[in-house]
Amino acid sequence: MTCERAERLLDAYMDGELDLPGSLEVEEHLRDCDRCQQRLEERRALVGAIREKAPCFEAPGYIMTRIRARLGESSASKPGWLRLFQPAWASLSGALAAFAIAMLYFLGAPRPGLNEEAVADHVRSLQAGHLMDVASTDQHTVKPWFAGKLDYSPQVVDLASAGFPLIGGRLDVLDRRPVAAIVYQRRKHYINLFIWPAGEGASLSRTLHEEHGYRTLRWSKAGMNYLAVSDVQEADLVNFAGLVKAHTD
Amino acid sequence: MMEELYGNRTDAAMRQRFEEALLPHLDAAYNLARWLMHNPQDAEDCVQEAYLRAYKAFPRFRQGDGRAWLTAIVRNVCYTAIKRLRGRKEMEPFDEELHFPTPNPSTETPREADAEAVQLMLMNLAPEFRELIVLHDLEGFSYKEIAAIAGIPIGTVMSRLSRGREKLRADLAAFSKDSNI
Ligand SMILES: [Zn+2]
Repeated sequence: MTCERAERLLDAYMDGELDLPGSLEVEEHLRDCDRCQQRLEERRALVGAIREKAPCFEAPGYIMTRIRARLGESSASKPGWLRLFQPAWASLSGALAAFAIAMLYFLGAPRPGLNEEAVADHVRSLQAGHLMDVASTDQHTVKPWFAGKLDYSPQVVDLASAGFPLIGGRLDVLDRRPVAAIVYQRRKHYINLFIWPAGEGASLSRTLHEEHGYRTLRWSKAGMNYLAVSDVQEADLVNFAGLVKAHTD
Repeated sequence: MMEELYGNRTDAAMRQRFEEALLPHLDAAYNLARWLMHNPQDAEDCVQEAYLRAYKAFPRFRQGDGRAWLTAIVRNVCYTAIKRLRGRKEMEPFDEELHFPTPNPSTETPREADAEAVQLMLMNLAPEFRELIVLHDLEGFSYKEIAAIAGIPIGTVMSRLSRGREKLRADLAAFSKDSNI
């Protein structure tokens, strides 16, 4: 087998999509060819990075409600383009409308999921002017503050040099338990980072969720769940999460 | 009168079967739409539209993988929308060669490529490459399933996925080189 042919088959080989003779042929080539072997390693690293770092976007909760409502209409049999092709309610925009819808959603939702709950916590923390129980830019002040108030100790990381200054922390409730909320700032916006033990439950797969102008990004690391919520730009939140992930053990 | 009652009852039964078979795949549908459409609003519209179309076509859906069936519809709706957003200009047939990078002598993979770069570069990939990476690497569909979803031969899935990854690798390498200067 030539390198050229091996290269063409390498992805399919890695994905387990080659038949047995094809796989054996590629393996035979790989034994003798360091270059193709290295190529394969690089490819594995790339796909690993995609799986780990490219988020799976999660549908906002209200889409399900809307779809179910539209299935109930007799016009459901006549698909029509929504906002893309019709003037419609979907073009509602602006913070006010988003907030009104958000509140409606929270009031009307039968069982808010983790993301909705986190967004509600976030909105409440900003509204009530109760963003922080402990206001400090020093991680060594914020972290000890939680001692005795929680049955775990959240890691508090300093990301000021990356443009996400720490401003404080508070106790909040998420997932039916008290959790640490660490508060960061991004220009004029705030990011709430909730940290709590993953416990027995399944750890959170890395998921980006968008709803009414707020985004949540959650992940698990070393037995702890992390959930960041904010109205900052998507890229900022992704970057923030990456930094927290890199700085926590 | 009787007919109407009967009709309503079968409608309700079909609707229930539809919801049970396809609503569990809402996140998968949204994920593909979100990657193809670039923004949440358009993704939402496409997902809702896809569900309505799926509902209409549901009497013809017999057995099999509801997720793959729905994904194929989402993909169609998204491509139609992309076409319309591009000013109703017919999309030219996709030419992989045009999108293929000139081979980069440095084949070093950016191992520390950060999350933002991976997301950004994947979003910027031609949609024909992007969708294969999303369908295979994120959604876990097999080559055969992807061939059915995208309506292309398996051989094309293989070569296009390979080239898509190669392009993404080259883009990430260029990106990390730029940002290190
Ligand atoms: Zn070789």
